Amino acid sequence: MSLCLCGRKRSKTVAESKNDTTPLDTKLSHGATRRHFLRDAFRGVCLAGLGGVAAFLLNKTRKTNTVWQIDPHKCVACTNCSKYCVLEKSAVRCVHAFSICGYCRICFGFFGPEPFDITEGAENQLCPTGAIKRTFVEDPYYQYTIDESLCIGCGKCVKGCNTFGNGSLFMQVRHDLCLNCNECSIASACPSGAFKRVPADKPYLLKTVDHA
Amino acid sequence: MKQRLGATNIKILAGAIIAVAVVIAVFVVVRLDVIGKKSSGLGKEFVYDIEGLAKIDPNLILYEELGQPISTGFSESHGIAVDSEGLVYVAGDKAIRIFAVGGTLSGEIKLIDMPRCLAVASDGNIYVGVKGHVEVYDRGGKQLASWPALGGNNGSLLTSIAVWKNDVFVADAGNRIVLHYDVNGTLVNRIGQKDKGKNIPGFVVPSPYFDLAVGGDGLLRVVNPGCHRVEAYTYDGNLEFWWGKFSSDVAGFTGCCNPVNFAVLEDGSFVTCEKGLIRIKIYSPEGNFVGVVAGPEQLLEDGISHICETAAECQSGGFDVAVGPRGQIFVLDTIKNVVRAFSKKKEQATKPRSHKEIIN
Repeated sequence: MSLCLCGRKRSKTVAESKNDTTPLDTKLSHGATRRHFLRDAFRGVCLAGLGGVAAFLLNKTRKTNTVWQIDPHKCVACTNCSKYCVLEKSAVRCVHAFSICGYCRICFGFFGPEPFDITEGAENQLCPTGAIKRTFVEDPYYQYTIDESLCIGCGKCVKGCNTFGNGSLFMQVRHDLCLNCNECSIASACPSGAFKRVPADKPYLLKTVDHA
Repeated sequence: MKQRLGATNIKILAGAIIAVAVVIAVFVVVRLDVIGKKSSGLGKEFVYDIEGLAKIDPNLILYEELGQPISTGFSESHGIAVDSEGLVYVAGDKAIRIFAVGGTLSGEIKLIDMPRCLAVASDGNIYVGVKGHVEVYDRGGKQLASWPALGGNNGSLLTSIAVWKNDVFVADAGNRIVLHYDVNGTLVNRIGQKDKGKNIPGFVVPSPYFDLAVGGDGLLRVVNPGCHRVEAYTYDGNLEFWWGKFSSDVAGFTGCCNPVNFAVLEDGSFVTCEKGLIRIKIYSPEGNFVGVVAGPEQLLEDGISHICETAAECQSGGFDVAVGPRGQIFVLDTIKNVVRAFSKKKEQATKPRSHKEIIN
């Protein structure tokens, strides 16, 4: 009486193995063996993985070498900069191109559209936070400077200066404040596409006298 | 026992009332937005709004537009002039284009550079300000002269030319001076230099708009835009008088520096053009506000008091104006590069009203 080992396969003898062609050695239609195919596939996957890692690192490097900035020629001073920054106080500030400024006695970046009087009184000023300082230079010229500690980047003065003046006031991301988020929330909310990435070694898009 | 139960019920009732009050308060804050503008995050004081100023009382508008605007075909235009026959000359894109009364293009003079201003003399010669010098052409487009570059400390920027008999006046915004030539291009004198002894304040020209014309009384009129006024000079350079004032209402000139351009009507009245809040207005020969030709609602987007959005759009909004032989007012829209013609409304043509009458 012999015991039947149901479900268990008998292992092959060495001779049987030599005569038999295992699945790994099966020749494919074009002459390569399955072993070669798997080896090549493994190498391909490794190479693809290496390429992916390299691309990832390159992309990461490139992103760290660029920063967000506002193109002043596209900016429409919509107030979104002051509202959408992830920082409690936006990293965007108004800056002033003195070479373009007309040093006007009645600056509409400083005065509201209907000032009661042409004086520095708070009731006459356009800026809701009083961030613009008006200083007498010589008759009839005045200099206007931005107190960045008070500016919240609402762009109200930029709108006034653009509409009536030379456009010497404009918005810029201050890189001592900006977190340089991968996805800038102001850029997502910018209605004019003025937010863009610029090289980190040239982080500001300044207006010059040619733009006046 | 009953007292304790009563006290507990009062506490529950008070708690319920407080909870309901909190819910109502939250609802009011969220739905009725009593704190600020809905979803803006910023209050009204942070929004630049001049829509109210852009609206002009229809009773003040004395003119109406004639037909369709003339398309100049320019991508950038700077100046307009009209000759005694009613031909319209427009300077832009390295050329002068001449349009017949109906708006058809009747001629073109090619230039080497962008013209900033032009004037047509009574003999038909065309004086063009190109960069820092003046070029003279005949009506057929033949160049008659090219005057030497003016130079100057700040670099010349010619923004206006006026020709009166044998005198040519050129406004140089770069050097904030008016240059007086004869028709042969010989410099006679400089007008408007700051001189306390002569009580001349000097021209304040913050932006590249600086216009001049000869008034009905023969005196030279020059805009002093930073002072919001039009000054009258003799040809010797003496300041005689001025008119104009800063004011946000329609009777004055608003913004930092206005008017940007003007023209003189046959009766000696002035047609002025403002930038920022683009308004074409009429002033009497003495400088009193008479009425409006057109405001932002008539000149810009149809029915919308749209001012401007980008810096480039705002900076190009210095419209120019010229007067035709029959009193028509031609306005060069430098944003859309078209020419609009206006004439007095019929009821206004018979009896012009003064500003006081309109106000009263």
